[in-house]
Amino acid sequence: MGIISVENTDRLFWLGRYSERVYTTIRLFSASYDDMIDTYMNSYQDFCSSLDIPNIYTSGENFIQRYCFDGEDTNSIYSNLMRAYDNGITLREEIGSETLSYIQLAVYDMNRARISHAPLIELQKVIDNILAFWGIADDCIDSENVRNIIKVGKRIERLDLYARLRMPRTEMIREVDRLVGRIGRTCLKYDVPGLEDLKLLVHAPEIRYGEIVCKVEHLFI
Amino acid sequence: MIPSGFPRIKFGIYKNNEFREQLFPFDAIPRVIEQDQFRYLEKGLKQRVMALNLFIRDIYGDKKIIRDKVVPEEFIFASSGYLAQCEGVMPPKGIYAHIAGIDLVQGKDHQWYILEDNLRVPSGASYPMIARELCRRSSPLTFQQNHIEDNRNYAKLLRNTMDYVNTGGHTVILTPGRYNAAYFEHSYLAEKTGAHLVTGSELVVENDHLYFVDYSGKRERVGAVYRRISDEYLDPMTFNRESLIGIPHIYDIYRKGNVALLNAPGNGVADDKGIYYFVPKMIRYYLGEEPILKNAPTYLPFYKEDMAYVLENFDNLVLKDVAEAGGYGVVFGSRMTAQEKERFLTLLKAEPRRFIAQEVIDFLDIDIMDEGNMVPRKADLRAFVLMGEEPVVWKSGLTRFSRNPDSFIVNSSQGGGFKDTWVLSQ
Repeated sequence: MGIISVENTDRLFWLGRYSERVYTTIRLFSASYDDMIDTYMNSYQDFCSSLDIPNIYTSGENFIQRYCFDGEDTNSIYSNLMRAYDNGITLREEIGSETLSYIQLAVYDMNRARISHAPLIELQKVIDNILAFWGIADDCIDSENVRNIIKVGKRIERLDLYARLRMPRTEMIREVDRLVGRIGRTCLKYDVPGLEDLKLLVHAPEIRYGEIVCKVEHLFI
Repeated sequence: MIPSGFPRIKFGIYKNNEFREQLFPFDAIPRVIEQDQFRYLEKGLKQRVMALNLFIRDIYGDKKIIRDKVVPEEFIFASSGYLAQCEGVMPPKGIYAHIAGIDLVQGKDHQWYILEDNLRVPSGASYPMIARELCRRSSPLTFQQNHIEDNRNYAKLLRNTMDYVNTGGHTVILTPGRYNAAYFEHSYLAEKTGAHLVTGSELVVENDHLYFVDYSGKRERVGAVYRRISDEYLDPMTFNRESLIGIPHIYDIYRKGNVALLNAPGNGVADDKGIYYFVPKMIRYYLGEEPILKNAPTYLPFYKEDMAYVLENFDNLVLKDVAEAGGYGVVFGSRMTAQEKERFLTLLKAEPRRFIAQEVIDFLDIDIMDEGNMVPRKADLRAFVLMGEEPVVWKSGLTRFSRNPDSFIVNSSQGGGFKDTWVLSQ
């Protein structure tokens, strides 16, 4: 019908954010998992501190199991995927069953990874499904506004994660540019001067990552 | 041959104050209805739903059927489905039951019997639709080689019905939310009909009209609401004051003819299990025709002679509490212990209006796949009749089956599964 409620706008935005969070954290986790093979499973502490998540884990093995699959751990990849699913399931008429089905497939693959002896292989399928979800969302969702809200959520989340991970300047500039190019094409109301500040921050001689995180978090408040 | 890997649909269920998602098992062996047989059903179903619509209009209007003593007034005004607030209210285009779900069973004598009329918020059409979609993908040859009516047009039929009564503006599907047992259906039908899925908080009544409020606060007029919430929760200003999922004052503007509500509030007076007994009489009364489809032989303990029959034949009957639904409140005389029977009979004598008794129909079993074996199970059929300019019977239906070999209860909330229903086109 071409109009969209506040509730659905919010859900689309968070669907974008959580799908991105799952995607990026699996990729980071995979890299970290590889490091842990050589560092006797202790590097997970650096992983937690870089993402600013509490280190509630008792060992490397405990981290692998809980950070990936523990539904009780609100920071786990599984919890974030379920939040993406919870938002997606209420958006069927906006995004379509086919688009939604890729989030559901990601949940199934996550459950398979939980019981697998080689979870990284199964987690790759979760990534594949998230990528397919973004692809089909782009291809099949008629409403440009709906597509763009999901993408803005995704861009915001990536910028937030990249700033926390202190990614190189080139990456930061690219992500801010992508956000700037997208945000004006949605119905979302945002802090216009805040966005200008973000542009300046990624070009400053010394990148103040903490300030970027703060600006990103307050862009829609 | 359709592969036996079962697609699964989840539905929500509340039990003991706890919400959980339960799988609705799909059996790929379809129920097949031949063209001639369907034509017969179609004729009977249209006749029945037309009479039921006339009945509701009469009850909230002139009440001729009561004055003419065809239906005793005790069965109307004591029914929990009767809503005094609906007195004198005429819905847009005079239609009350826009979407009717009529439950039938086929006996071993191959005769079809009506088991129940559902005129409030019947659900289930989306399941055969999506099952067909998946079966066509997994076994295209089956559909190439057989002449089967395509059931995926349900969304179009529903949309036509909604548009026909729309009073001007958008069409929406009103859901209580994600945790409702039929939420999948609400969202799927919204997607397929192109209607907007909304919750009560997204709609507002202003200046005697209903509006959808968008993200910017802009109002868009709504002319038809396919509401998937019960009458009592629809409008806290008219019905249950504690409802948080309804829309304040929506009933006021409905009364003024400014919005269509599908189905109309107050329809429960016609799908009460006690009223079921009178439907054949309604058909004769309003249409002057003999009923095409039969009711299951039913007795009303309210009547002395029926009570005597029930007491005498208790062990051969199934007794149903008229206030219950979803397979609850159904007891078989033959399966009660002496103590249970004694307790039940005391209740029956104290509240005869509360129960109906029916002969146990020997259902025609249909085959399902159970762990790789084909086994017979009890099944019913929910047929959908959509009432717009003309009544239309959807050329499919929801076939529900019991997974328990000893049970007649097919309801999904009690562990039943479903099948697609094929209507042959040749």
